[in-house]
Amino acid sequence: MFLVWPALKGFYMSLHNWDPFVPSESEFIGLDNYIELFNDPVFWDAMKGTIYFVALSVPLLVIVGLGLALGVNKNVKGKRVLRAIYFSPYILTVAVVTLIWSEVYSESYGLINHYLGYVMSDPPGWLTSTELAMPALAFMTVWWLVGFNFVIFLAARQSVPERLYEAARLDGASTWRAFKDVTLPQMRNSILFVVIIQFILQFQVFAQPFVLTTGGPRGSTDTLVYYLYRSAFSQHQYGYGAAIGYVLVMILVLIAIINFKVIGTND
Amino acid sequence: MTDSTTQQTSRLDDVSLRSLGTHVVLYGVALLMAIPYLYTISRSFQPRKYLMDPKPHWIPPEITLEHYQYLLTESLFVQWTINTFVIAGGATIIILVVDSMIAFSLTRLDWPGQSIVMGVILASFMVPYYMNIVPLYTVVADLGLVNSYWGVILPAVASPLGVFLLYQFFRDIPDEYEEAARLDGFSTFQIYYRIILPLARPILASLALFMFVYNWNAFLWPLIVLSDESAYTLPIGLVNLYQGNITTPGLHMAVTVLASLPLFIVYLFFQGEIVRAVQVQGTGTTG
Repeated sequence: MFLVWPALKGFYMSLHNWDPFVPSESEFIGLDNYIELFNDPVFWDAMKGTIYFVALSVPLLVIVGLGLALGVNKNVKGKRVLRAIYFSPYILTVAVVTLIWSEVYSESYGLINHYLGYVMSDPPGWLTSTELAMPALAFMTVWWLVGFNFVIFLAARQSVPERLYEAARLDGASTWRAFKDVTLPQMRNSILFVVIIQFILQFQVFAQPFVLTTGGPRGSTDTLVYYLYRSAFSQHQYGYGAAIGYVLVMILVLIAIINFKVIGTND
Repeated sequence: MTDSTTQQTSRLDDVSLRSLGTHVVLYGVALLMAIPYLYTISRSFQPRKYLMDPKPHWIPPEITLEHYQYLLTESLFVQWTINTFVIAGGATIIILVVDSMIAFSLTRLDWPGQSIVMGVILASFMVPYYMNIVPLYTVVADLGLVNSYWGVILPAVASPLGVFLLYQFFRDIPDEYEEAARLDGFSTFQIYYRIILPLARPILASLALFMFVYNWNAFLWPLIVLSDESAYTLPIGLVNLYQGNITTPGLHMAVTVLASLPLFIVYLFFQGEIVRAVQVQGTGTTG
């Protein structure tokens, strides 16, 4: 009831000029919502913002997570402490994460700009610059979520049979060769899983711009879900919001298929 | 002879140098990751006059509890905490009961249409949450549940993850247990309650923790459903404080510390379980 029905109803709504008060009076407008969407500059800005955010955050989330997992898997002291620290931001709510970083990024009294002040005379406003705001949100997101990937990669790495590495060593393989020929293929499934999950999650970025930048400065951190939220719940254009949701889903399905094709058949 | 020993020591040096490098990088990252917390905690105890100082004070020259005092007495913080507990706790309990019953009936009982139900559950994994929020909101509004605990809890319960995990676990429990119990005269419900559930305790515990943390932290859905300030959950409440004008950085920091404290306590005690729940989720959905 809360899964299948809304999905069907959402498509139905997206074909209407939805009237929230008298739903039965809603006007059927066919694909007009979708057509309007494709001619809507705000939608395209939100699309660009979302893609930019994904392009910044997902590679970092995967590479840093993998690097940390392979590092901790080595003979390192205090593995448990490291694991606890890396994973800990993940348990925070995104609201807390953004509030913490609002202080770190603050232009006038923030931590980063204080230390940057030693090396440059005029440190930038991280959240007030159109160029830097989105990277700042992406970096904060990596801090928040990388522990999830780390934990999954660590489990995957630990289930790779050690004898494969022994065999590689006997063959005189370098560390890099062992990584490329043993670690990567053996961990392919978890890498694929993490990449797809992160694409899907990061494409739906909402709270970071909603809380920290309200999409600004000048729309530079607007995202699709944030636009969906505004359309449906601030402007009460439910049909339009539902249409954005459907476009979002199409994109996500496409990304999942591409990922499967690229990583999944890389034998 | 001498040749080989020097070679060995130099290789040893190489290895230990590399290991030192790994340690430095890993602990460096850990320190960088911890800095925002430590800074937050430190600032939550600082009086206003130091907070606006462009120079950060790691160790406050003066300690004050005014921000915490304000939160606990002047704001709805206590009410928000109660709301969050009821919602996260309620959702977790219902998820455990409902999901385990569905998984039990799918794996241990025979009835027509089982494969269809399982198919729908698997398919719903593919339905991204955000596609549903607008129509879901109208469903919840039609039921008159806007601004209520149930409006937040019920959609949260409809998460296929738990059914999927428990399905896999229940399926692998050998039939002999069940047959032996039947010979002892157990009813179907007794088999569920006294055989299967105890066997599944570890995975139920992992699922419970994961769901509790997840629902404690939920942001977008409560934001949409809860419109009344006294109905807010903690994440919504603290954003509301942040976007209001009465606040100071000290207050923001105190509210983040207080809102995260229950989760950090849960995390400290059940770290292994939470990490395992995440890993089971990761391996479960790929395998």
